[in-house]
Amino acid sequence: MVVYSFYIFDRHTECIYSKTWLPTSSDPSSGSGPATATATTTTTNHNHYNPATALRPSTADDAKLIFGAVFSLRNMVRKLGGDDDAFVSYRTAHYKLHYYETASSLRLVMLTDTATLSMRNVLHQIYINLWVEYVVKNPLSPVEHKGGVGVRNELFELGLDQFIRGLI
Amino acid sequence: MASSKASRLGEDRRTRMDKVNAELVVLTYGTIVAQLCKDFDSDYVEVNKQLDKMGYNIGMRLIEDYLAKSNTVRRCSSFRETAEMIAKVGFKIFLNITPAITNWTSDGKQFSLVFDENPFADFVELPDDGRAQDELWYSNIMCGVLRGALEMVQMQVEAHFVSDVLRGNDTTEMRISLIRYIDDELPPEDD
Repeated sequence: MVVYSFYIFDRHTECIYSKTWLPTSSDPSSGSGPATATATTTTTNHNHYNPATALRPSTADDAKLIFGAVFSLRNMVRKLGGDDDAFVSYRTAHYKLHYYETASSLRLVMLTDTATLSMRNVLHQIYINLWVEYVVKNPLSPVEHKGGVGVRNELFELGLDQFIRGLI
Repeated sequence: MASSKASRLGEDRRTRMDKVNAELVVLTYGTIVAQLCKDFDSDYVEVNKQLDKMGYNIGMRLIEDYLAKSNTVRRCSSFRETAEMIAKVGFKIFLNITPAITNWTSDGKQFSLVFDENPFADFVELPDDGRAQDELWYSNIMCGVLRGALEMVQMQVEAHFVSDVLRGNDTTEMRISLIRYIDDELPPEDD
């Protein structure tokens, strides 16, 4: 299993946290040999497909595009399946996007490789054990995380990284 | 049926949580109120307002803890269900009390919570200055908590106390009115 990236959007639709486990400065011309440069999760061999070049991660635009896509999908799903229906994931030829939304309209999005099974539970755990514990309960972090203030604290970052690595 | 399910859920979650000494809570809360009374020169209207504001900020956080602890997967389907969950799960988890839900209006948008016990108010006697009895809502922080918490799950409500045993009333009653459901916020338009 490979996790490519992870995003959190708040109820104001703003991306308040994003993390990618791929090199951020992906230059299309040097698109081979990712394994050495990649930070963490690419322990498996990607000899047939290189996500680093194909996904070209981590611009602010990506977060916006992802939010637009999941938000539309979610609304469409609810229109067809009723208000209780939830959009869980979609898959392309190259990646799989997992979506989890809390009742407080916090949206967690994770991009993984296509073979990964449902990450709904994982996202739920991230919410309960990391978000609530380290971000919400941090008395000095603001209630609203405008511009991501208060989210990037050490405990949360560390916890998330360890949790994701632990999955592999 | 749904109501006993909520009770069980509340009981079940409560037993799994870390707990603090009730007296610590009583004394801490009492200190806050006393300090506010001092800071605002016994302007109890202002004290009520400050308590509500503090509660609001607490509620906005507490709701996340509630969602995580109660493992709620879906939204309440009606305001009546919301009331059940507040009384039987929320209050049970955090204060170990279950206020009674009464006095629904016919449109199902307003109800009262009647507290037969109030852990904040143990040992409390309102100041004997002739005004506190009429003006101070000692447990007003709870109104703010509910307002903040429900706002986070897209319900705008108004909450206030209508009676308090501390003032010599027979019951402690909080009135909660649903103003509206808040729509999803939409992402800003791209130019």
